[in-house]
Order: sequence, then structure tokens, then C-alpha cells
Amino acid sequence: MLGSFDITVIVTSIFVGFVSRGISLKEDFRQYPSYPNGYMIHLITGFVAASLGAVALPALLSKNFVAVTFLTLAIQQFRDVRKTEKESLESLEQTEYTYRGSAYIDGIAKTFEARNYMALVTALLTSIVIHILSNFTPINKWVSLLLGITAGFFSLYFLIRFSKGKTIGDIADVRTGTVEVKDSELFVDDIYVSNLLGTDNAEKLISEEGMAVVIYPRESHFRINLDNFGQRQAALFEATRALGVKRYHFTRKDYEKGRVVIALVPLKKDQDALIEVVKKCPLLESVKKSHSVMKTNMGGKK
Amino acid sequence: MGREASTKPSYEIFAYLTLNKERIIAGGVLCLYAENEKDLKTMTRDIAKGLKADVVKLTNGDYMVIRI
Repeated sequence: MLGSFDITVIVTSIFVGFVSRGISLKEDFRQYPSYPNGYMIHLITGFVAASLGAVALPALLSKNFVAVTFLTLAIQQFRDVRKTEKESLESLEQTEYTYRGSAYIDGIAKTFEARNYMALVTALLTSIVIHILSNFTPINKWVSLLLGITAGFFSLYFLIRFSKGKTIGDIADVRTGTVEVKDSELFVDDIYVSNLLGTDNAEKLISEEGMAVVIYPRESHFRINLDNFGQRQAALFEATRALGVKRYHFTRKDYEKGRVVIALVPLKKDQDALIEVVKKCPLLESVKKSHSVMKTNMGGKK
Repeated sequence: MGREASTKPSYEIFAYLTLNKERIIAGGVLCLYAENEKDLKTMTRDIAKGLKADVVKLTNGDYMVIRI
């Protein structure tokens, strides 16, 4: 039978896990999900994850070993979260300015699954720390509760750092590109981009309102990541979503120097925002091949 | 915009417009002849607008209405 302090430990751990999910939900600068129902869905699944993490230890201690099998159920549940996210984003592909692309969708879906584990681990760790401190040390129960909460949030900080990944800005420089139209062909910093500007209107539109950035990889091996179609598509998607698209959006890679061009005619003309959004576009896990890129941000280093 | 090798490019040619009758040969695509440069441009623009498509100007002066 659980005592009143055990109940307090469970409730506290659930609270810490739930808050962890809330914090990691707001963590995302891409503002996804930015809609109330999206928040609701992920907070509820986060609450379930936190609850499972919080009751795991008390269940073991009360010799209720069967209850621990709930954790396997949780893993199945979180896989379903990933699947649901993937299906949901794929169904939206036709309505966006441009495609997110399968690689980006896969990355987002994995992130949502991982954040549920984050809530579970945080809650579990909180309950373990409180239990150890209150039963095996002379520390006061309420102080151990506070220390448990602290340990929970510290683990959250650590997990966020661990799972954060890198962005294009970490491995490449992003600079403004000069848009130029020569004989109905679009060039950005003398890199050929497209010949879809056959009409006078198209030429005029892109000459007057076109914007472009050029991504310069800092090391030659970073080209492997930046040249990847999924990665370029993700950067283009973020650019079009941040600024809107009046007409035309292109990406192009330059084989000679490894530069990548993102060009578009935006609704909102803000060059700084375009540079910022491309810099902050995440490096997709599925395209990470280089060992130096795969290193995590464990210590918060660039 | 290039795609990965395994991905089939998704473009469609809607029309080919030219000032040179010699270049019109049988094919699946609509080929149109224009009398002069002004007509050619107008026809190309109207077709592209109607089909919400893009226009490619070839080096030889002909136009192609395509959608990617």
C-alpha cells in the first residue's frame, strides 16, 4: 500500500515530467506546433509519458512487477505519436508553399517521439532521486523532494542539449546573394539557378522583388550534408514559410565550390530574416554522414 | 531544381510556341505558330496564365510552357 509521501513523490514526478514536455514544446524556434490543438495533443501525451515514468519506481517497490510492463506499452504509444505526426505532416504537403520533404518530416516526427521519452525519463529520474535521498540519507523528506525536482530539471537541460542537434548556421556561412536575370535565366552570385523566367513579367518580378541567400560550407566535407536534396528542401521550406511566396522558389547547388543557393520572390521582403531562418534550419539527422557533424551539443558547444 | 537520382522529375510540357514553321513537327505537345514576336509573347503569356504554368525562353527564340 502506498503511503502519503509516496503519493507526493508520484505527483511531483508527474508534474516535473509534464512541465518538461511543456518546456520542450516551446523550445522549438520553428514554432511547430503553433496551434492550440497541437499543443493540447502533445501536452496530453507528455502527461501520459510523465505518469508512466513517475509510477515505474513505486510499482517496482511495491513488488508490482507487472505494472512495469506498462513501459513497453508506452514505447509503443510513442511510436504511434511519431507515426501520427508523420502522417499528419505528409497530408499537409500539398497545401504548403513548398514541400517539407520526407527527410524533414521524418526528423520532426522523431523529435516528437524523443520528447515524450524526455518527459518519461525526467519523471523517472525525479522519483528515483527523491526515493534514494529520502530513504538512504538523513536528508529531510521535503528537502529531498526539492532536490529531486532540481535533479529532474537538470536532466531535462542535459537531454535538451543532447538531442538539440545542429543547424545550417553551425556548419556554414549564410550570406546575401545578388539576384540577376540574364537572357531569361536567373543567376545568383553568378551561379545559374533557373531558366523558368521566360516572360517579361517574370523577369521584372524577380529582378525587382527576388531575394536570395548563398550557403557557403565552412569545410569541404560539410557539402555532403548541404548538397543533400532533403536538406536543401528543408531550408527552402523554412524560408518560404517564414517569408511567404509571391511566386517562384528555387534551390540550386554549385558543384565547383559547394555553394547552395536559396532564391525566391517573397511576400515579406526581409533579407535579415531570410538569412536567419536559413541559418537556423536544422541539420537533418537522416543526412548526417560526417563524424564531426554527428557530434552532439552535449556541453552546449558549437 | 534538381532531385535525387531515384526521384522521378515531375515536369509537364504544355505547349511549344515558335516563329518558325519548320520547327513544328508531329508530337504529343501542342505546337503553335505565331506570325510575329509580339503575338508569340502574348500567346505564350496567355497560355501560361491560363494553365498556371511557367515559361522557358529557348536560345533560338521559341517558348515552351511547362509546369514543374
